[in-house]
Amino acid sequence: MMVLVSGIGYSNMSDMSFGRVLYGKMAEMSWPPHVHVEDLNFGPVMIYQWLEEYPVKFDRLILVGAAKRGREPGMLEVYAWDGRMPDEAGIQACVGEAITGVISLENLLIVCKQFGVLPEDVTIIEIEPQNEEYGLEFSPVVAARVGEAIELVKSEAMRARCR
Amino acid sequence: MCFKNLPVEFDAQGNAHLKGGVVDPFAYKPREIKRDKLEELLARNGHIKDVSISPVTRVAGALSFHAVADLQARKFLDANSIATIFRGYEVILKGRDPRDAIYISSRACGVCGGVHSTAACEAIEMAFGISPPPLGTVLRNLALALDFLYDHPLHLFLLAGPDYSQVVVQATSPAMWEKAQLTEAPNAEVHQFKTIGDIMKGLNPLSGKLYLDGLKMTRTPREAYSVLFGKYPHPQTVVPGGMSSTVTITDFNETYTRLQKMIDWTKRMILLWDDLTGFFYEYNPEYKKVGARAANMIDLGMWDDENSYDASYARCNEWGERRWATPGAVIDGQLVTTKLQQINLGLEEFVEHSYYEDWNQNGKQRYMTDPMGAPLSPNHPWNKETLPKPSKESWKDRYTWDTAPRWDRQVVEAGCYARIWTTAAAGLMPKNDFMEATGHSLKFHMPKTMLREMNFEWKIPPVWNAFERNRARAYCMGYNLMIAYTMVLKAFDLLRRGEDKVSTKFEVPMGERIGVGFWGAGRGYLSHHLVLDKGAIVNYQIVTPSTFNASPKDPFGNPGPYEEAVLNTPILEDFDKHSDFTGVDMLRAIRSFDPCMPCTTHIYGGEREIVREVNTCACSAEG
Repeated sequence: MMVLVSGIGYSNMSDMSFGRVLYGKMAEMSWPPHVHVEDLNFGPVMIYQWLEEYPVKFDRLILVGAAKRGREPGMLEVYAWDGRMPDEAGIQACVGEAITGVISLENLLIVCKQFGVLPEDVTIIEIEPQNEEYGLEFSPVVAARVGEAIELVKSEAMRARCR
Repeated sequence: MCFKNLPVEFDAQGNAHLKGGVVDPFAYKPREIKRDKLEELLARNGHIKDVSISPVTRVAGALSFHAVADLQARKFLDANSIATIFRGYEVILKGRDPRDAIYISSRACGVCGGVHSTAACEAIEMAFGISPPPLGTVLRNLALALDFLYDHPLHLFLLAGPDYSQVVVQATSPAMWEKAQLTEAPNAEVHQFKTIGDIMKGLNPLSGKLYLDGLKMTRTPREAYSVLFGKYPHPQTVVPGGMSSTVTITDFNETYTRLQKMIDWTKRMILLWDDLTGFFYEYNPEYKKVGARAANMIDLGMWDDENSYDASYARCNEWGERRWATPGAVIDGQLVTTKLQQINLGLEEFVEHSYYEDWNQNGKQRYMTDPMGAPLSPNHPWNKETLPKPSKESWKDRYTWDTAPRWDRQVVEAGCYARIWTTAAAGLMPKNDFMEATGHSLKFHMPKTMLREMNFEWKIPPVWNAFERNRARAYCMGYNLMIAYTMVLKAFDLLRRGEDKVSTKFEVPMGERIGVGFWGAGRGYLSHHLVLDKGAIVNYQIVTPSTFNASPKDPFGNPGPYEEAVLNTPILEDFDKHSDFTGVDMLRAIRSFDPCMPCTTHIYGGEREIVREVNTCACSAEG
């Protein structure tokens, strides 16, 4: 089983850059041969085209990100994406956003699924942000969960191998 | 005389001065917007409706549109274009090292960051007194022709294209769809779509062949761009005085191969938009009024001549007219100037209907003249300050974060179509093997690949509307492609002669300096005005194509280009009940400008960065 790992988000947006920053950290770590860590922040359409042509087909995708959902700031959640898609107009809106520069977890998932390149198994590791403004640093509650989030990615990636 | 409204005239040597006898030459009295009758009609008549579209979809960034439609008379009575978010780059850049502008302003757009980097570099080069070596200029030209080869198909097939697709036409004009299926496409032999109905099917979002091919085709120019600029869309290799890329003959070979891949597709695409436009005109000539407005446009030109560009303001008229796209202002279809200095002098920004404070209130004007001593308006970007002032939305007062840029106090629009228009009309294009500007058209020759060699001619159209904007954009694909092709050949030639230097050394000057980057984006006009002192930015002003196009009413009472285009648009769609009204004609009018708002508004739109519930997506609800 081949696993693709990344973190999604804009740079320098404080807690909202959680995925982006973690990607940088994970890219410098050693991973087992079945895990491939890749920057997937260069636009959903470009990523779907990259996945389409990449010689390795991935069975599992693990993405790290931040999303404001009204939880306790700093709360870390792991869940499987249920793969539910919006209607056609909604998908077209996502493609429109994607080609004009929006980088988001949701767009990435929807665009990749629409064009048939999304692995069957998608796991999201998501943090509730405290600070969403421009900034180079995480807020203390989010910074405190960085190590744990990376451990979660490792554990999810290994779980994939045990299946 | 290029100015009709500004109090500036030129002597026989081309030197500008203020007209005599005018006491307060740039003063004006803002006209009040009267809406009483409109409000009364809205309250009284069931068929007069407020139409609010927020956001306008298939537009990058935050654009909302408000209109008042008379559904019985089938016309629009009022229109307001609304940029909903503050841009703020001017504020962010204040006090920074000027070189930061290259990388920060690039983030103004997720499609065309490189054009901002280049405009920033040209502004810096003027302020520093440096310019790139020939290969540096050629490289920039090439990369930014490639950028537009990504940009135009994206608009034609993924953003505006769906407005002409089967799903939209069948729903809003069933009789037209019937006719389209029976109408043979005149250029089917080349583009392989037998009927107009087949073209419309091809444009169906997510599934149509043209949509999917358009999506696929965005990859090829992006790859070539990345080979030369290092990455897309925010290159780190555009530097004052040239480029920092290390380029070899292999890079240009790789680019050349990718250009070859695009030639046949471009031939097909141009003829396909010709066929579609012709069909709409023939089906109902009223479509010529969709998005119509007077042919008033502005462009700064771009793609410098490597032997002429020296970045100086003193010589900007000369190097400007040597560009591969000629600068120009077009008023009522007539080219009134090709001089960059005159275009610059005519530029003013107004904020009477925008969420900004008037910077002239303190009565201090930073620059009374430009560097050549020509009179400068207090509303010119070199004098402007960005002073945000959020307030309540009011159609009579303030309703947008966009400003109202005007040229010679006239409403002008920007677009790649303005670029092809000014170039065609000026007839100044440098001599070359593939393109010719005739004074009334732009001819270009596309070489044989799988398809035969073909000659194309974009002619200045007799009417100006949504269809002509799209058609011109399709022709611009061919124009850009042949610019890129020419630049690759120039690069080979320079390398053969051993001229492989791509940048010039420089030092940041400490005194007060001003500069301007006269450049272009995929969507047209782009200027960066810069004031430096003590090695830091004192003032930075960006005017983008959408700043012009999405602008609100000006103090003289004139609506902005989107607004005017909608006011001139007849409602042609079929509907029995008012509730079935979709506004497709209005949307065709707006989208024909290729609206792209991130550079007009701010890159950070709060909610857009926060992912929506990925397990219970609400895209459609918001879309």
